[in-house]
Amino acid sequence: MPQIITEENLRKLVDLLVKEKKLVVGPKKSGSMVLYEPLGTGSELNLDTLPRRSSKELYFPVCEEILRFRKEGGVVQVDDVDRSRFPETVLIGAPPCDAASPSILDAVFSWDYHDEFYLERRKKGTIIGIACTKCDDACFCSAVGLAPDAQQGSDLFLTPLKGGGFSCSAVTEKGEKLVAAHAPLFSEAASAEPVEFPAQGMEKLDLVMIKQWLSGHFEDPLWESISDICIGCGACAFICPACHCFDINDEGSPDNGVRRKHWDACGFSKFTNHASGHNPRDVQNKRYRNRIMHKFKYYDDKFGKTLCTGCGRCVRACPVGIDIAEILNTINGK
Amino acid sequence: MNSKAEKIKAASIDPAYYQAVTDSIRLAAVKLLEAGSVSAVIGYLPGRRTGTASPAVVTDPEQAAKLIFSPACVNNLSLYLTKAKKGVLKKGRIAIVAKGCDMRALAGLIGESQIKRDDLVIIGVACAGVYGRCSDRPARLDEESIARKCRECSVHLPEGADLVLGTLPELPEPDPSEARELARIEAMTAAERWAFWKEHFSRCIRCLACRQVCPFCYCEQCLCDKNRPQAVEQSPRPAGNTAWHLVRAMHLAGRCGGCAECERVCPMDIPLNLLNRRMAKELKELYDYEAGLVPQEKGPLNQYKEDDDQSFIK
Repeated sequence: MPQIITEENLRKLVDLLVKEKKLVVGPKKSGSMVLYEPLGTGSELNLDTLPRRSSKELYFPVCEEILRFRKEGGVVQVDDVDRSRFPETVLIGAPPCDAASPSILDAVFSWDYHDEFYLERRKKGTIIGIACTKCDDACFCSAVGLAPDAQQGSDLFLTPLKGGGFSCSAVTEKGEKLVAAHAPLFSEAASAEPVEFPAQGMEKLDLVMIKQWLSGHFEDPLWESISDICIGCGACAFICPACHCFDINDEGSPDNGVRRKHWDACGFSKFTNHASGHNPRDVQNKRYRNRIMHKFKYYDDKFGKTLCTGCGRCVRACPVGIDIAEILNTINGK
Repeated sequence: MNSKAEKIKAASIDPAYYQAVTDSIRLAAVKLLEAGSVSAVIGYLPGRRTGTASPAVVTDPEQAAKLIFSPACVNNLSLYLTKAKKGVLKKGRIAIVAKGCDMRALAGLIGESQIKRDDLVIIGVACAGVYGRCSDRPARLDEESIARKCRECSVHLPEGADLVLGTLPELPEPDPSEARELARIEAMTAAERWAFWKEHFSRCIRCLACRQVCPFCYCEQCLCDKNRPQAVEQSPRPAGNTAWHLVRAMHLAGRCGGCAECERVCPMDIPLNLLNRRMAKELKELYDYEAGLVPQEKGPLNQYKEDDDQSFIK
């Protein structure tokens, strides 16, 4: 029999997890927006709006300290960050386009170099995904192989039910444990009819064909025609659940400073600027080409995954209206 | 229908007006390209999604016949004329579609010797307004969806353009919400104001959309990208974010044309135009200077005069 949880109990679950000293993060009203922020109580959980930034920042923060350095009397002292102090974290209320993100990014962060910061947070993180019942004309998760009810990346997955409440499926052991530890909040139902999911405006893309086209068209007039108007900001990359480039900067003074890792974006003109002054991606359309190539060819070449969940954030946020879904459709039609 | 809804309906703009402007832009752009008087027209093309538009650099008459003007034509296209966007424009004279508010940026860029007036054909549009940061993009631009800058627009009819297309429809008089917001912030104590900006800057992710979209941010080496030595912390943290936004506001003082693109594109909803507007007010009070529609060689912060106020030197 399917297990269900009422909305009231879901909010109670947040309260309990907070009491257990876990860091509980979910969509929450923040100023004029909804963002993934730490929840103080279950009542703060906002399940109506897709947060402006993706939930990748739980594992890959906007900015984090990776070490501190001090120079005293000619001796350099380097202090590592104590990663054992990262808290146990529960992400709650992430729709499939966000919940799936770590399942894509794990590959690159545990590749030849193991990013201990990312991996420690992943180890201590549990994801409660939720099926998505709203979509707008920028959404295209179904077109890139996900779906409003895709469980990929979730440890526990909730599906809103017609009569209210959610049916729950424990996708991983972490999810099973979470349910077992809070069993009184869950109940069994004879039947559980999920709500209907809205249809998205875009047809499913043939990602294999797109990749094939990309493989043969590193040089193509398409790049100029679609991206000459790109202004070279990082809005698309920063709010993307899958973009994961970062920069490292030493800040402070030479005698006393901090090394910080923070988000970077291939749209920036200095992204691959060499110390010599040479830049292999010297004009904007080459940088935009990298965005598409990385998402739909390079990452697949290396890790067998597509670096896009179809959340539509970049489509909504682009200052000049560059629409990645439309570009993919164009390539798909070639 | 309740009274509020009735008022909004009355205060909306007839979409037929935008269609008329669209038709005139197409005629003018096709004619210019066919005659070979310009090598490109910078205008707007419709987006895939209803109620959206994108900037476009159009070089053939067939494409020019697809140009549009709608409430979604929010961008200040003068950006594409600056050296920051090098490689985009072909050589030769360029035609550009400009709203009244975009004319200030063109005048400023001419004043700063970034572009030459003779190299431009300015296709001005009689503009009734464009969308603000709304997500629903209604077919009729109304009180809810109109941009904050358009609520206080004084340049519906562009001055100094080569041609002005369209006839203004009856214009609503929306509430000047930005002026009210600025007054509210000015009335705060310094501590309250600090808290207001601190909260906003704490959300900044340094995507630099504000810089990249600004027609006046054309520096080849931005101070904020320098790291040897580092002038402003590049990592997105409250201190560096605050420094960045203050540097930005100061560097634009006396230059900013008020197109408010920085605020429109901010994915974190930081009300940046309030800073620009406040700086413009300072410049008006201190130097009786306004970034205007007529190209001026230098703004007051870019020049030295013997009789400059020096009372601040103590």
